[in-house]
Order: sequence, then structure tokens, then C-alpha cells
Amino acid sequence: MNPSLKLLLLLLISIEVSFTDRLTANVILAVILLGLLVSQRLKWRQLLWALCLPLIPGVAVMITLGAYSGHNWFLAWVMLSRFYVYVLAGSTLIFTTTNLELVRSLEQNAHLSSKFAYGTLAALNIFPTIRRSVSRIQVAGQMRGVTLHWWSPTLYFKAILAALRWSDQLAQAMEMHGFREGKARTAAETIIIRKRDWLILFVSLVILQGLLIAFP
Amino acid sequence: MTIQIHQLSFAYPNQPAILHQLNLNIPDNSFTLLSGPTGCGKTTLLKLIAGLLPKYGGHVTHGKLTIDGHPRIAMLFQDPAMQFTMDTARHELEFTLENLQTPHEQIASQVDHILSKVHLSSIADQPLTTLSGGQLQAVALATTLAMNAKIILLDEPFTNIDETSRNFLLATLKAEQSRRHLTVVISDHDLHGYQKYIQQIVEFSSQRVKMLTPLQSQAKLKQADDQASIHLEVTIPSGHNPAFQLSNTQLHRGQHLILDQSQLFIPRNEVTLITGPSGCGKSTFLNALSKQLPYTGRISYLQKNIKKLSPGKYFRQVGLLFQHTDDQFINITVKEEIMLSQKHGHSTFFTNQRINEVIDDFRLRNLADRVVYSLSGGQKKLLQILVMLIMGQAVLLMDEPFNGLDHQIQRKLLKLIKVSQKQSPQTLLIVSHQPEQFQEIVQHHLKMTDHHLIYQED
Repeated sequence: MNPSLKLLLLLLISIEVSFTDRLTANVILAVILLGLLVSQRLKWRQLLWALCLPLIPGVAVMITLGAYSGHNWFLAWVMLSRFYVYVLAGSTLIFTTTNLELVRSLEQNAHLSSKFAYGTLAALNIFPTIRRSVSRIQVAGQMRGVTLHWWSPTLYFKAILAALRWSDQLAQAMEMHGFREGKARTAAETIIIRKRDWLILFVSLVILQGLLIAFP
Repeated sequence: MTIQIHQLSFAYPNQPAILHQLNLNIPDNSFTLLSGPTGCGKTTLLKLIAGLLPKYGGHVTHGKLTIDGHPRIAMLFQDPAMQFTMDTARHELEFTLENLQTPHEQIASQVDHILSKVHLSSIADQPLTTLSGGQLQAVALATTLAMNAKIILLDEPFTNIDETSRNFLLATLKAEQSRRHLTVVISDHDLHGYQKYIQQIVEFSSQRVKMLTPLQSQAKLKQADDQASIHLEVTIPSGHNPAFQLSNTQLHRGQHLILDQSQLFIPRNEVTLITGPSGCGKSTFLNALSKQLPYTGRISYLQKNIKKLSPGKYFRQVGLLFQHTDDQFINITVKEEIMLSQKHGHSTFFTNQRINEVIDDFRLRNLADRVVYSLSGGQKKLLQILVMLIMGQAVLLMDEPFNGLDHQIQRKLLKLIKVSQKQSPQTLLIVSHQPEQFQEIVQHHLKMTDHHLIYQED
């Protein structure tokens, strides 16, 4: 499916789920999304991560709603199922589309400004380097007789300083590779929206309404 | 497309002028080498020509810089890791060609053409974060060529690249320059290997620039070539008293095998040099020795398995000079950095008095209150080496320590290391592409080929 439309669909699902409280519909949605994720042959660790992530905030909210304020256990289950729908929708997007595909599609199909699109992409691509750098700063500290714990402000101050410098360097580097804000660009890979993509979007939306109306 | 610089002065706010009333003409269709001491303003000049300065900071306080006809300009930066928007070499080249509005149908074939021209096809789809410093520099050079620019500016483009690749890339660059009548300006401290290609040297000295005559230029380049061909006098260590000992050690970077070593000793309190082609895994090896990368098999330091030593304890004994200089600094200013090492250092050689002498000798007094990140590439490297030497760990692993340093500073540092070695010996393990630089201090030479480290003899 076209990445921009996929993003739109998943956003619409999340919004609709936020404004309705249908437990069965949420569960069915979560199961469908989970099915999609499983069909992507993820590593079991990634899948487990996607399943455990909503559990902590979900259960916390559930206990608050169910045991303390109002003793509404139905609403509590709805909240938990909502968390699952959000996280699974996000995971579906992340694991079925690469960052580059999404950015290219948003630039070509949704006409997102290229500055925003590629600026974000550059930041995402630099992220592993930043992470490595933070752990390097820790090692560098130990080699100089300074212990920087993960809560040490110095560590984050250094990381922020590094990130600021990098943002400046990246802007210059993008310019030296021919990028100019607002200038027209061509595309190495043309991404089109096919009839099939629209069809999937509309059919999915109709099914979504059906689910939300038909099930409690 | 002549680059004309007339009485140009440039300064950052609240700092002394970096360039002062500079006069220089760089002719069209030429291949020029920019040489000069560390921190003299080579990078600043290149960025001014590229139009990045004063746009991204600083002010032209006097004079002007003109380039006829607004040609397209491409520039390669000193720091190889910080010049890519995308995740792989292929995507970066596609991004560049898209920016130049290359028609969609031509992009794929042009990308393939450039990749094969610089022999990068095999790593085109690997994540850039898994490439070595030298490989990144080659990718940056490929992207600079893809810009199809009339003026190409290269800021220390070969610092992490091995000799064979360096010669190959230089020849490719020269061929491109002649074919398309380009104006190429390279800034480099290491002048060897340029004799065949360079028409003129522009030399910076004490805030003045001078265009050397062709005769002077050739003499300088020849001298550099002679120095580079110096033979290392090394021996094979006996195996007694090793600092490090490897047995059945295997090391991977991503999916790729880097090292498969059944047995290796690295002698204690002696200086060992490691060389090998770019991307073969020299830095990866140093990272494994400093407990930053997983490996299989056993690495021991003074007979103890390093996996069992706590990081705090281990790093009091073993220091690493990072290839990426910025990672080394903990504090903000030059003074604070030196004071931190002074406070926690173990060296008996670097007394307070000696540290003061070193600060004067390397002319760091004026830079004492500067923020470390505002220093030039070479100045940062110098400070990095000094703070790690002052720490005086029993072992210092040095990853390309002399990148971006001028000859004079290199010689002074070697002298300092030599004297320090005499009084409080350290185990030094140096990774470099320019073995001749360390000829004075090196005792053993390990070469990395086909995933093995092998000691070399004279």
C-alpha cells in the first residue's frame, strides 16, 4: 500500500478509536493489526516488544479507572485495548515501511515540504551515531577518571551540545550535496498512488465504521 | 571561473580574526594544494569559497571574494561521519542527483557509474554507520564528484584512507579535473603523493598566504615523497611480558568478519604500529581491546581476561584516543580539559611544571579559554593527544592520532612521547595509514591482512 495513504489510514483508525468506546471493535482491530505484523515475519523480540510496551501504561490506567475512580471496569478494558491499537498501528507503519519510502511518498504524494521531509530523515539517520556517541562519552569519562552515570547531567549536556553542532554541520552538508530549500527536485524512485491503494483505504474505512457500529 | 580574493578578513564574533587581509588568485582549470600550520584558517577559507561562510556564522570584516560566473561548487568536509543525509552510499548519491534535478530515468545508471568509478559498488548498500572512516571519506568523495561542479574543494579528504586507495582516488580526481577542466583545491597536511598531479601550492604562514612558484612547489612535494618512503626499523617481539594476549579471537562488524586471530601478543611498554587497508577493521580492533565491542574467544590484559575486569578499573589502565576527536572531551574549555587530566592523571612524567612547559611549547596559552568545539580540526586533535598523554594510562591505544596536524607539531609530539616513554614507559598501540610519521618511536609493526594481524620484519 502507498506509504502516505497507509499513514493516513492508521491515523484515522487511531483517532476514531480515541473518540469511541467499543471494546470488541478495539480487540478485533488489534488482532487484525497483530496479524499484519506477524505476516511481516518480524523477529520475535520485536513482536514481544510491541506486545509488552502498551502493557505498563495500559494496566496502570486500567487499575486507576477500574479500582479507584468510578469502578468502571468496562471503560478500563477499553482504555487498555486502545493502547494496543495505538502501539500496533504505529508498529505496523514502522515495520512495513522504511523511513526513506515514507519520506519519498510524503514528498511526492502528500507534497510535504522537502526541507521538513529530508531534515527529519537526516536526523533519524544520524540517531544511531548519536546513541553511540553518548556511550562513547561515558567511556571517555571513565578514561579521564570521571564516572558519568546515565543520570549525570554532563552526559546529556554533552549530547545536546553534540546534537546542536551536528544540526549545523548537516545543514551545511545538505547544501553541499545540492539541496536548496524550496528548489524543485526530481525523484530517483517515483511513488504513485494506485487505484488499489485508494480502494484499500476506503474499504478499510467502511469496515472500521461497521466494526464500531456493530460491536459493543 | 577564477577565484579572486582581495584583502579578505574574516572573524567569528568575540574572537581574533582567522583570516587577515588575504590576497590570492586561484586560476581556472587548476589543481591547487593548500598547506599550512594547524589552525591557520584553511577550512575557513574553503568554506568562504564554498559560500557556506559567512552564511553559517562569522563576518567578513574587510575585503571581498569573487568568483566569476556563479559556477556550481562542491565541498568535502573534514569530518567524514557528518556529511550524509541518507543511510547508505547509494541513497546519498540518489539524493544528490535528485537535488540537481537529474531526470528520473538517468539517476540509477549515473549512480551505478559513479559507484563503480570509485570502486564502491560492493559497499553501496551497507549502512553508512557500519563503514570505516576511510570508506566514509571515499563515499564523500564520490558524492562530491556526483555534484558535477565546476569548482571542487576538498578539506583533508584522505586522512583515513590507505596508501593504495589514496593514490587511486587522487588519479581519479586528476583525470576528472583534466577532462572537465575543473578547478580543484585540496587542503592537506600530508604533501606526499601529489607530485604527479599538483600545479601549485598555496602556503599559509603567520596569517599570510603565498602562492609558491612551480619550482618551489615541486621541491616541496618531492621532499614530502622522500620522507614518505622512509623505511621502518622494526623487530618481531619476543612474546615475553605481553600487555595484551589474544587467543582464538573472532571479531565481526555487522555481518562481516573482521579478525580471526588464533594467537597474538602485544608487548608491554613498547610502541607497536598497526597498518592495513581502509575498512579492514583496525579501529574495530582497538574498540574491542577497549571493551566497546563484543567478540568471541579471549583477550587478556596482563594475563587477566578483560571481560572480567570492571570498566572503571580497566579504563584506569587502558586509554583510547578516539578517531572522532569530539568524543574525547568532557569539559567545555581548553583549560578545563587540561586541568581535568592534570587532576586525575597517573603519569609521573607530566608534573605540573612540565604541563606548563607543554602548554607554552604548543602555544595553547592563547587558546586556554576557547570552547573546545570552536577549535580547528588540527587544534582539537592536538589537545586530544595532550590530555590523553597527561592521563598517563599504562596503555594508550591511538586511532589515527596525527590526522590534521602539521609537520612541526607532529615532530614536537614525537619528541614529547619519546622523552615520556623513557621516564614512564607506556604500551602504545598506534593505528595509522602513514607509518613513516612514527618511524622515530615505533618498535614493532603489525599489518592487518585477510583478517589476520601479522608482525612485520625489516
